[in-house]
Amino acid sequence: MYDDNEILSTIEMVKNENLDVRAVTLGINLFDCISHDLQKFKTNIRSKIVTHAADLVKTCDQVGEKYGIKVVNKRISISPISLVGATFSTPQMVEIAQTLNDIARQVDIDFIGGFSALVEKGIAPGDQALINALPQALFETQRVCASVNVATTRAGINMDAILEMSKAIKKAAALSSDDDGLACAKLCVFSNIPQDMPFMAGAYLGVGVADTVINVGVSGPGVVKRAIERGLEKTPNLTLGKIAEIIKKTACKVTRVGELIGREVAQNLDVRFGIVDLSLAPTPTVGDSIGEIFQALGLTSIGVPGSTAALAMLNDAVKKGGAFASSHVGGLSGAFIPVSEDLNIANAADKGYLTIEKLESMTCVCSVGLDMVPVPGNITEECLAGIIADEMAIGMINNKTTATRLIPVPGKKAGDKVYFGGLLGEARIMNVAHATLTDSFVKYGGRIPAPIHSMKN
Amino acid sequence: MNKLIITVLGKDRPGIISLVTNHLYELECNLENVNQMILQNEFAGFFVVEAPATLPLETLQKQMNEEFKDSGLVIHCNEVETNGQKDEFLKGETFLMTTIGPDQKGLVARFSKIIARYHVNIENLKAVFKGGNDPLGNIMSYQIFITPDVDQKSLFNDLRQKADELNLDIRIQHKNIFEATNKI
Repeated sequence: MYDDNEILSTIEMVKNENLDVRAVTLGINLFDCISHDLQKFKTNIRSKIVTHAADLVKTCDQVGEKYGIKVVNKRISISPISLVGATFSTPQMVEIAQTLNDIARQVDIDFIGGFSALVEKGIAPGDQALINALPQALFETQRVCASVNVATTRAGINMDAILEMSKAIKKAAALSSDDDGLACAKLCVFSNIPQDMPFMAGAYLGVGVADTVINVGVSGPGVVKRAIERGLEKTPNLTLGKIAEIIKKTACKVTRVGELIGREVAQNLDVRFGIVDLSLAPTPTVGDSIGEIFQALGLTSIGVPGSTAALAMLNDAVKKGGAFASSHVGGLSGAFIPVSEDLNIANAADKGYLTIEKLESMTCVCSVGLDMVPVPGNITEECLAGIIADEMAIGMINNKTTATRLIPVPGKKAGDKVYFGGLLGEARIMNVAHATLTDSFVKYGGRIPAPIHSMKN
Repeated sequence: MNKLIITVLGKDRPGIISLVTNHLYELECNLENVNQMILQNEFAGFFVVEAPATLPLETLQKQMNEEFKDSGLVIHCNEVETNGQKDEFLKGETFLMTTIGPDQKGLVARFSKIIARYHVNIENLKAVFKGGNDPLGNIMSYQIFITPDVDQKSLFNDLRQKADELNLDIRIQHKNIFEATNKI
């Protein structure tokens, strides 16, 4: 029998602190679907995905019900379409995206990720066709997520690709101008993209991974926040070392929940279990926010001086607790700070506590990067590419993943409100200093060489 | 084999376990299992022993009554059925059902009736009703063992419906979630 406090604390985590499993993502390898015939390729991928994913949602719901922990999002990640569909043209790539959208609807998942290309060292014809197809593909579909990796610590930064992506983002925003550039919310640009990430929009299935695999993304910012608050209520003069310990222990519990659910889903689907992604992922719900953790730590708001240090401590403690709880940790594994997806962070930006420059500096010590950041619609391609390049450099030099998910909102300026809906949330457009500059730096193109510490062999 | 169970009830105080076990030792009984609990101020202890062949049940009961007649303890001895022991490998899964909410008469009676109707065994039950708003003060926690032949969905629905009627917050969760969050 369990202690009353053990039972109640577990119930409390689920009931009042929004503990859930944020994403169970089924990875499906599509290399055996390759064909030069588009119709055949589409038939093959539909057949393979539907065969493996038919019971995904049902199984996640059953397991969630059994443990009283909700699996919020059920998703699919696939092999990069730029590789498995390398022979296809841009219009054909758009057709593939539509097919994927249709398949996602058929198996009742909210997102399918892997409309992706890996171009850190150069752009092959399949990659180019996919990048050119991105604006149309993302505009015409609702459930397809795209990602393009433009930099790695080993390869350096492909500046040509960054400029291409900047143009694609601007075009995608223009096409979806009626929805505040919503198409861009499904597109990430990466440095050091992980090949086993369960979270969207960046999830894809890497080439060195099994045919099918279940990866799990845990959640729990609300649980961490309450644990800190409880600790401080009990002992108001806790030192930061003790607070880090509380975060670590809490992250351990949260991770164990994710692994338990993930393993059971994998077993029931007869699929290999891959990894747990330890990222603390917020939602726009109050009490399910990363921003609120900063306030629990004694800061006025995320973004004020001290925020980077607090985030560094938080991120590290989450990793330590999670690594103890699970032997297979992967994905991004760190705190997310997506502006529009976290009500508290959106408010911090709104009130001027959080600027895009501070956000960038904070991404040096956590995962993701400039995530769900709405920027003025008149931002130039050059400026947008500059922001992306800066973020990629942070990832490359620090041997970590960084990404951008920037939304240049057509017709709107800094301070205007944008609404994306659902988990994507809402926010005010962040001010970007010098947004209209057309500096030539990003136009020189070519590659920024890999850093010296890439030479480890 | 002469397996016996001795139940000891009485007002809680220091020394009960010592009294009982020392006397059992003098009678050359071998202790196999002991469990005790204190509810409010009342002590209950259970002792499963292997008694020597020369000590039949009636003799032990008599001896114990004699020994403890002034102790204020009630002693009851019985035989343990050895062939009807619980199958350790019985297939099934353990769930914890927890309710939190206002105290009312007949709560345990009503929930256990539903559980019994499905022939489900309650492996452990803890209930505290103190009134007030403290969740710890008004909580029932049932550990139930569900075998594959039980219509689990229907049982859970019935339990949830009953909790709704009684304005209780109910959670039914597989025990492993408590393992995951509490035990390392």
